[in-house]
Amino acid sequence: MWLPLLGLILGISLGLLTDIQIPDVYESYLSIAVLAALDTLFGGIRAQLQQVYDDKVFVSGFFFNIALAAALAFLGVHLGVDLYLAAIFAFGVRLFQNIAVIRRIILTKWSERKKE
Amino acid sequence: MKKTVYIRFTFILLIVGFMLAVQYNTVKNPETRDTRDVWAIRQELAKETELHSELLSEVRVLEQTIGKYENMMYESPKIALNETVGQLKKEIGLVEFNGPGLTIKVEPSLESIVVGQAIDGISPELLVRLINEINRFKARAVEVDGKRIIYSSAIRDVNGKTTVNNLAVKTAPFTIKVGTSTFEDAKKMYNQLEASAIGDDFYIDNLKLVIGEPENNVKIAAYDQSISKQFLLEIPGGES
Repeated sequence: MWLPLLGLILGISLGLLTDIQIPDVYESYLSIAVLAALDTLFGGIRAQLQQVYDDKVFVSGFFFNIALAAALAFLGVHLGVDLYLAAIFAFGVRLFQNIAVIRRIILTKWSERKKE
Repeated sequence: MKKTVYIRFTFILLIVGFMLAVQYNTVKNPETRDTRDVWAIRQELAKETELHSELLSEVRVLEQTIGKYENMMYESPKIALNETVGQLKKEIGLVEFNGPGLTIKVEPSLESIVVGQAIDGISPELLVRLINEINRFKARAVEVDGKRIIYSSAIRDVNGKTTVNNLAVKTAPFTIKVGTSTFEDAKKMYNQLEASAIGDDFYIDNLKLVIGEPENNVKIAAYDQSISKQFLLEIPGGES
């Protein structure tokens, strides 16, 4: 359980310590990539809890979603349409859904354990 | 099976954390762009170069002093110390100044004489402005109506009279003497004062600024009052 948390802390400190900054132009790409990554992450947690987790689906989904989101944002910039909004909307909705499912599963497990 | 899942999650979370941190960095510290144009940068460079040369000349003077100390160490340290004291006194204006400079006369303006207006004394603000202007052109010694200006000189209004070093300044006409390092500096100052707008400010107060030609020898009296020391204390004789 603590291992993923350690990974998160390590990643954040690595990012803060290296003090990397990206140009303003690419800021929207990164934000959408972060959103995609979070979406995949919560999807993975949900799948794990529902016992339908698949390694390949998870890892490929992570990278594919990020790439797709960035590509959509890129296309949007060049077409003059804010396509990245579509990605933000899709990922946002899925994020909420996934979190809701995770919450329910945890609640069910908790109440079951209480009954026992 | 379970372990590989954790490792995968750790790896993904590492990337997520990194991306979050980078995003945070980018949002929190927006890159400040240098928007100065070439001209502004050149001006800044010129200013720094001037400072550099000033510092260099200061270093040279100090090195000379060190050299003098070293030479005289075995002969007579007293002479070297006296020389330094003399130089410091000269710098802050406790010694009479003899050297190149120029004399500025402050006179009532012709119009006010013709019209018959009462001539008021110079206002402290105007005098401060003039002295700032003079110091901007690297004056070494300044004397206003016989009163030497030093680092602690106060120019202020006392009961409606403008005073310098607590002594009242005459109503116009009176003279201001300015000493410079070299005759070239005096010439430069003459030109700069002629070109500056300070004369117009005097004209508003019904005064006329007559800037004299640069001279080779201007005599400026020493500061004759005692200087109040705030931090330095004199050691009684024999204890040193």
